[in-house]
Amino acid sequence: MTQEPLVLDEIIHQPVRLRIMTMLVSIPESDRVTYGFVQKSLDLTGGNLTTHLRKLENADYLNVTKEFHNQKPRTWIQATVAGRQAFTEYFTNLQKVLSWRPES
Amino acid sequence: MQSTNDSSPENSWQTIHDTMDQSRNSMYLAGMNTILLMWGGLMALGYLGQFAILSFASDFADRSPWILAPFWLVIVAIGIVASGIVGHRASKSRSDGDAARNAGLRVFAFWMVVVAAAFLIPGAAGLWNDETASSIPGVAIGIIALGYTLFGIMHRPGLAVVGVGIAAAYFIPDYLLGDIAEAVTAVLMLAVVFAGAFWLRKSGVA
Repeated sequence: MTQEPLVLDEIIHQPVRLRIMTMLVSIPESDRVTYGFVQKSLDLTGGNLTTHLRKLENADYLNVTKEFHNQKPRTWIQATVAGRQAFTEYFTNLQKVLSWRPES
Repeated sequence: MQSTNDSSPENSWQTIHDTMDQSRNSMYLAGMNTILLMWGGLMALGYLGQFAILSFASDFADRSPWILAPFWLVIVAIGIVASGIVGHRASKSRSDGDAARNAGLRVFAFWMVVVAAAFLIPGAAGLWNDETASSIPGVAIGIIALGYTLFGIMHRPGLAVVGVGIAAAYFIPDYLLGDIAEAVTAVLMLAVVFAGAFWLRKSGVA
């Protein structure tokens, strides 16, 4: 019997996007973080972060919403249910890849 | 934290663990930069005030050595309230929801315990009396420095260095300089917390 090859989700596997998704799924589902916090914590440039956020948003892995707080704009980022599921699947597959040993 | 673009499975595994650590620590360090600077300013003010009381109102200080306790109590109370406000506002600017709120409450509880210990342990050790009151600041500073060191070991090693610096800023002048020790401690304390806050800002976590 042949096993299906393990495929790591390419959208999440990219190192910067992996860091963004890890950050978002490490907080409770109802929580969200600000753009500035993600940028500062992950030490990314604005352009770089925006590019990767757009890819993750297009895949429906996260939501980006803009709100005003004390008349100042604030951008919130939150992982979607689909994003959390995709990350869990990625993590499970990554564990399998790391524990895989060729049959002798 | 690695910043390589290597997307090998091993590297991805490491990235996940490093990022989780970093995110958690960032939550616990909300507003730390401002709080650290504020405490440095308050402690410097406290030691300058203590220096002024002991130098310019020495007769009064000799008759009422307990005066330094309420003096420091007021400074600490201001610091606690301001830390709570700064920490709350900083965490709101990073995240909203349970994670930030719980992290903020835990940090606040940690520092409340440290401050309470700084007052209660000298009492338990029998230092709250006229003869031994002068040794209370040393014990209190030792406990606060220990708080910074433990918090730093758990979240950011640089804060542990700040803790050692705070202890050194108090104990070295106290041991070597006699009457002007408080004034020198105030300056050194400011230098230590400014260096700590600068480092926190540079490391992009607070």
